[in-house]
Amino acid sequence: MKNLIDRIITEPLRDFFQRILEFLPNLFSSIIILILGLFLAWIIRLIIVKMAKLLRLDRLFSKIGLTGALEKIGLRETPSKLFGRIFYWLTVILFFIISLYTLKVPAIEGFLEKFLLYLPNIFIAALLVVLGYLIGNFLGRTALITAVNAGIEGSALISKGVKTLIVLLSFVMALEQLGIGQDTVIAAFIILFGGLILALSLAFGLGGKDIARDYLEKKFKKEAEKKDELKHI
Amino acid sequence: MTGLFSDDRIVYGLIMAEDSPLLAKDVQEKIEEIKETDILVGIPSYNSARTVVHVVKAVEAGLSKYFPDKKSLLVNSDGGSTDGTMDVVRETDVDFDSILVDHKAGAFHKLVTPYHGIPGKGSAFRTIFEIAKSLKAEACAVVDSDLRSITPEWVELLIKPILEEGYDYVSPYYLRHKYDGTITNTIVYPLTRALYGRRIRQPIGGDFGFSGRLASFYLTKDVWETDVARFGIDIWMTTMALANAFKVCQAFLGAKIHDPKDPGADLSAMLYQVVSSVFNLMDEYFPVWKEISGSELVSTYGFVYSVGLEPIQVNLDGMLEKFRIGVKELTPLYGSFLPGGLLDNLRGYAENPKDKFIFPDEMWVNIIYYFALAYHRKSMSQEHIIKSLTPLYLGKVASFVIETWESKAEEVENRLEDLCLSYERRKSYLVEMWEEGVKDQGKPRRRL
Repeated sequence: MKNLIDRIITEPLRDFFQRILEFLPNLFSSIIILILGLFLAWIIRLIIVKMAKLLRLDRLFSKIGLTGALEKIGLRETPSKLFGRIFYWLTVILFFIISLYTLKVPAIEGFLEKFLLYLPNIFIAALLVVLGYLIGNFLGRTALITAVNAGIEGSALISKGVKTLIVLLSFVMALEQLGIGQDTVIAAFIILFGGLILALSLAFGLGGKDIARDYLEKKFKKEAEKKDELKHI
Repeated sequence: MTGLFSDDRIVYGLIMAEDSPLLAKDVQEKIEEIKETDILVGIPSYNSARTVVHVVKAVEAGLSKYFPDKKSLLVNSDGGSTDGTMDVVRETDVDFDSILVDHKAGAFHKLVTPYHGIPGKGSAFRTIFEIAKSLKAEACAVVDSDLRSITPEWVELLIKPILEEGYDYVSPYYLRHKYDGTITNTIVYPLTRALYGRRIRQPIGGDFGFSGRLASFYLTKDVWETDVARFGIDIWMTTMALANAFKVCQAFLGAKIHDPKDPGADLSAMLYQVVSSVFNLMDEYFPVWKEISGSELVSTYGFVYSVGLEPIQVNLDGMLEKFRIGVKELTPLYGSFLPGGLLDNLRGYAENPKDKFIFPDEMWVNIIYYFALAYHRKSMSQEHIIKSLTPLYLGKVASFVIETWESKAEEVENRLEDLCLSYERRKSYLVEMWEEGVKDQGKPRRRL
């Protein structure tokens, strides 16, 4: 009878407590790592904000249009504070993952492995979107100035078109990197782009044929008649 | 008699990078042989076989006629011409009997060498400076290889002020049509004059005289891998001479007729090359120009004259249309570095019809100064800043054409004098703004 009680109650309870005792140091380490991570993240944020101020990054980002872009999406913080916050959370997440690993729970380990393998994709996708925005801004402005200097009315529209196209392209690339609806997104982009060109061709060829004729006549015929003999240099 | 000099005085240069980064070994050997020269005239060239003969003949005749007792050297610094320019220079001989009534054979050498470095006039000049320094040349001149109007007198006018009057730099002063050189007239001349206080009428002329001392000074500057080597050498040479207190004068050379530049050349690219060169130098020489106010005349050599003006065709409607499109479309971009009041004024003037159109000098000067500040502060891509100036520049030129359509050359010069004085009057505000930027970029800025 005693053997039976031992087998049914005592031994499982002993095993359970044994496992808890074995798990407790891991849990303890995990909590310490998390607290350490929070503290380190706080220090890193302070350093990043300080460094960004010293290097006048806010001014630089204002020049390249990043501050304006952040404001447009509702982020009123200065880029230096935003960077501080990003690095704070990256550190917290990193230490949180390490602390979860420290628990040595097989199910969590499996999940984290997959997550860690996926993490570079998220970084690359974010980078693609940011780069796309910056390049889109730059090329949009180049298109605007070039079109204005060529005397084209509606240059702002051309500029916005160039910018939107590049941002859209970078967004599609980011989604492809994340593996989200790869084929669908690419197909949608091709259809959208092709449709846009077709629409413009039709608009210019049919709807705007008179305007196009007037424009071309004005551009080539009149300018040929009114040759400029003024020398700029 | 055909030619005064035998072939053994001509040196053919080849670049041998392992011996010298700049001068070919045989050029160095020839320099050692010649030892020194009194006068050096450089001709930078690239595919100028059609025109360089006349330039070489004019230079040789000028040296023989005006400096017969001096040792002289003609240097052709070529950018890798494929049309045989270098051969043409080597083979060109002057029939002095048919050009000069009386002549003496001086010690004359000719040196033909390809230059090393970034392709551009600046690199060609660097080679010329290097040779001038090696040969301890007392006076030097550089003339373009596509000149059709150069005469032997040009050599005299560019060299004599240095040899006889002790000047270090002779800037050219050409006879030009009232609508030639509008970038020079509306930006480069008045701005350089206001900044450095000397009235050098054509600071980007292209043909200059300079002392050996100044050539050596140019070589001490580390600019030969920058845009100066490509396209900014003319204004760079002038500004360096002015900002470093070298003795400067100008020489009236008459008309400058040369091969037309590429007619398809983009105006905004041209504007970028010229204006960025001036703005870059403003950055470097702020401590010098901030102390200067007003301007003074410089000595002018040569017989200054003007001729009647041939009417030319100007596409005023085209310029005004581009100006209006620019103001309309670029307002958001200008808003990042031009103050609101100035933008409002611009929009107001852009609405005026052609017969009432005017672009006031004060507004133009404010615009140039704000563009210079934006360029200095790198408010956005510097190329974007300057290229976005194009429509406003066309507006100013259109206004200038409307105002001076009936004017004679002297009246146009008086009109330009008014513009220059506006630049000088507003300069103190530019200095203040520039200094505010240096002290604290973050503080709200005053307006010009």
